[in-house]
Amino acid sequence: MAKKYPLTAAQKIHYRWINEYKTQQVSGLSVVASLKADLDLDLLKKCILKELDRYKCLKVHFTAPDKKGEIKQYIPKKLKLDIPVKDLSDMTMEEADDTMQKWAYKTIDGDDIPMCEFFIMKLPDGYNGFFLHIDHRLMDSIGMVVMIGDIMSLYTHYRFKSEMPADLADYEEVLENDLKRASNEKRFLKDKKFWDDMLDQWGEPLYSDIQGPGVLEESRKKHNDPNLRAADIEREKLFVAVKDYQLEPESTKNLMTFCINNQLSVTNLLLLGIRTYLSKVNNGQEDITVENFISRRSTKDEWTSGGSRTIMFPCRTVLPSDIEFIAGAYEIQNMQNRIYMHSNYDPELIWEEIRKRYNTPKDTSYESCYLTYQPVSAKLENPYLKDIPMHSKWFANGAATKKMYLTVSHLYNGGMNFSYHYQTAALTEKDMELFNYYLMRIIFRGIEQPNLTLEEIINMV
Amino acid sequence: MVPEERFKEIVAQYCDVKPEDMKDDLRFREDLGFSSLDFMSLLGELEDEFDVELEEDKVVKIQTIKEAMDLIGELKEEK
Repeated sequence: MAKKYPLTAAQKIHYRWINEYKTQQVSGLSVVASLKADLDLDLLKKCILKELDRYKCLKVHFTAPDKKGEIKQYIPKKLKLDIPVKDLSDMTMEEADDTMQKWAYKTIDGDDIPMCEFFIMKLPDGYNGFFLHIDHRLMDSIGMVVMIGDIMSLYTHYRFKSEMPADLADYEEVLENDLKRASNEKRFLKDKKFWDDMLDQWGEPLYSDIQGPGVLEESRKKHNDPNLRAADIEREKLFVAVKDYQLEPESTKNLMTFCINNQLSVTNLLLLGIRTYLSKVNNGQEDITVENFISRRSTKDEWTSGGSRTIMFPCRTVLPSDIEFIAGAYEIQNMQNRIYMHSNYDPELIWEEIRKRYNTPKDTSYESCYLTYQPVSAKLENPYLKDIPMHSKWFANGAATKKMYLTVSHLYNGGMNFSYHYQTAALTEKDMELFNYYLMRIIFRGIEQPNLTLEEIINMV
Repeated sequence: MVPEERFKEIVAQYCDVKPEDMKDDLRFREDLGFSSLDFMSLLGELEDEFDVELEEDKVVKIQTIKEAMDLIGELKEEK
């Protein structure tokens, strides 16, 4: 009988969202990876089936909820997964993408069933590959990039006799290690103290909205509480739209050079830019919190074990308006470094403590913006494939749990992509355009003159 | 004293250098390629493994394997 394990803190985030928003759709993750090449599709299928044994997170099943509503995960001893061929080659690529986008909206409902679905894809313009639709509790974006690379390496091994790719880390071993760490009482108390101390020092957080202070004012009226510091969350109309903006290679190079020269991580520069924009549109508010996703992949085994390790924590920035841009960046970096040390903690416990202390109303939040920075490029390093044109695309699941979620990643051409997923119930493409315009202006003004104060930068842009 | 072998075994989980090849003057970031997340995650693991509590102001000064081992050794002796 398969061994059953509780969910990790990172998996629990997705499970809570599924329950809170009452649909598995919020936990969908979909991608297509294809090459402009006449691939042997039977061999590709064989490689995917082999990947199921190498990358065991793909096999994870969940039990039905117990009386407390909790579920367990396990890897069944035997799994038969059908991998059908889908032929969209007579469409345009845009139509094919639209079709796959619809698949990404589907839910994977049921207990004790496979939580992923593979299709072998025949796409327009000679592209061939595969599509994967998977529950986010099984895999995050880095896990997906590792898996795509491994499947392609298996393919070139069998097709071109390239070296067999090295074994991937065992999912269950890494999971057991995570769960052991999470149940360490001393560690738990240290982590709790860190997060509690922050509330002792700064008190209750204060909401800041992308659209300005009016949103919090509305919530204050609705709850009949002029001192309310949290704003309402949209729970019903979850439809999400996506708007991408690209930063050209030359500007990206300037941004990266600034980070290297100042020993600053890109995440922290982005967090400073976002919080400064929120300060700008909220009358210079100094106490601003942005939710930041952390990959939690540090050891070699964590990198190749798959699974869903990404976890989000509030990055609270209390920066006076007269602080210099570069000093603000270091303040955020110090805060983030401390958070990294305590990132085994279940973020839900932070919110429980806040709700207990400040009596925060149900279905409200202190954050309007969520950030993920992905330093890993989806580019194939495989020497047999690197010169072959690739069509890979991530498809939004269509149901946002967050008002605005920004994913920043690197492009093949050396540029960067800023992908905004936003709830259409509250935000428009114009909001995203303004956000991105000012974010760039703030960051590049800060890079050019890092000794300007945040207030000066806000006034200049 | 911190058991050097165990210490280096843990560090080796985060990088491509084998414990036996890990010289004391290797720097975490520049030589071993640690990111901030890697480094802070390692410190958390070292705290748990050696049952010590690292102070932030001392942690930020650590650059090399030896400095980390010395700091943990000192904290263990103080206990």
